[in-house]
Amino acid sequence: MHESPLEQDAKLTFADIRDAFSTQARVINALVLRETKTRYGEHKIGFLWAILEPLIMVLVFVGIFSQIRTDSPGGMPLIPFMLSGIVPFTLFRDPMTQMQGAIAQNRQLFAFPQVTTFDVIIARGILEVMILSGVFIFLLAMTDLAGYDINIERPLEVLAACILLAMMGIGFGFAFASISPILPSMKQISAAFLGRPLFLSSGLFFTAEAVPAAARDYLLLNPLMHMLELLRSAFFYEFESAYGSWYYASIWAFCTLAAGLLIHQAMRRRAVVGI
Amino acid sequence: MIRLHNLTKRYRTAAGVNTVLDNVNVTFPVGKSVGILGLNGAGKSTLVRIIGDAEPPDSGTVIRKGKVSWPLGYTGGFQGNLTARENARFVARIYGESTDYIEQFTQQFSELGDYFDVPLRSYSAGMRSRFAFSVSLACNFDYYLVDEALETGDARYKEKFRLAFEERRATASVILVSHNEQTIRRNCDMAAILHDGHLTLYDDLKDALQFYSFLQTRAA
Repeated sequence: MHESPLEQDAKLTFADIRDAFSTQARVINALVLRETKTRYGEHKIGFLWAILEPLIMVLVFVGIFSQIRTDSPGGMPLIPFMLSGIVPFTLFRDPMTQMQGAIAQNRQLFAFPQVTTFDVIIARGILEVMILSGVFIFLLAMTDLAGYDINIERPLEVLAACILLAMMGIGFGFAFASISPILPSMKQISAAFLGRPLFLSSGLFFTAEAVPAAARDYLLLNPLMHMLELLRSAFFYEFESAYGSWYYASIWAFCTLAAGLLIHQAMRRRAVVGI
Repeated sequence: MIRLHNLTKRYRTAAGVNTVLDNVNVTFPVGKSVGILGLNGAGKSTLVRIIGDAEPPDSGTVIRKGKVSWPLGYTGGFQGNLTARENARFVARIYGESTDYIEQFTQQFSELGDYFDVPLRSYSAGMRSRFAFSVSLACNFDYYLVDEALETGDARYKEKFRLAFEERRATASVILVSHNEQTIRRNCDMAAILHDGHLTLYDDLKDALQFYSFLQTRAA
């Protein structure tokens, strides 16, 4: 078949696709390293703070809880119980909040044609998940060293629950990052409707078993509640939840991520311009 | 090779729709440096941004074989709260160049001294532009886009850059927008004229410059 020179030029070859992927991998890698610098670079205390913030939160809530109740929640020891709620929850919350400003705060980068909106958003998500995974492992190791035996019953399921939490956060992150350049008040809206309410209603401080049946039905609409129940079931030998559903949690995680990516796809051109 | 295929770009202004590129089909041949001439507001800068993929056309495509730079001297892509060193390494990474080489070359060529490790936001405009020129020169581009600015710094630095850039041109081509006939004559093998949305490529520089001066007198 005869082809015009233009058609030959425009045809997508395997090499083109490979180049495109390697460019994207390079760009995302460069962006992650850069975000590390801009996030922590100027203040050396930054990395320390990443560990201190959840640590302080755990200690404060452990302090409060040990004053108001004597029995441990669901038979789980208090410190690991708090740790396994607070840090995994930040695996959802922090990607969401950090990814939100990715386009608005990196607009100058789009002068480089190989840098896409997807790259700058996902780079923040990757950095956040890497930091929090490190923080989680570090704090668990510290707790173990402090004499509280950390013995994880089903580690792979804990990992799976963490992945679902991160997927939810990244899904919201993509949506907010694409919307907030056009609607700057998005930040306040997401904090008011998602950040704090979910912090209190996702079971960080209680198990589904412990709340009255009438409230439980509503709380179990929240997929994060399922994820934390599942995570603790897999984490502790002492605790098995009758309420956490892998099916419900996974559907939410996958749909949130898909919706976030679709919103990004629909909005990305407008988001770069900001109108 | 850079090929513009059915490129169209319009701007809506208060005065109506301004078509700066009207179904443009032009191929810039391999190894040739091309000057782009045009009256004020003809859309030369827009064309350069589209060639560099910094702005999308309304329709049509640009086919690029080889690495195309961002406009020479453009500092908008750099991050103010990162140092020159960090910015240089970032650019090296996204273009797949050796980070150490780019860092070293830029540090030497920019003559920034201790400022190389200071965040860019505390630079003067001149220092920032010297940094931008040095990074562009360090990267192994096949095409250098130039939008008017082809020099920076004092007379000595200008000369140093001119020599280095000439050396670079042994393996790279230049696509240069300028009002200045002298600049075009010195740097280009051929020229194209952008007028009324049409881009006409002239093999002979003399023909292009002649037609350009005709356009200028008619406009005046």
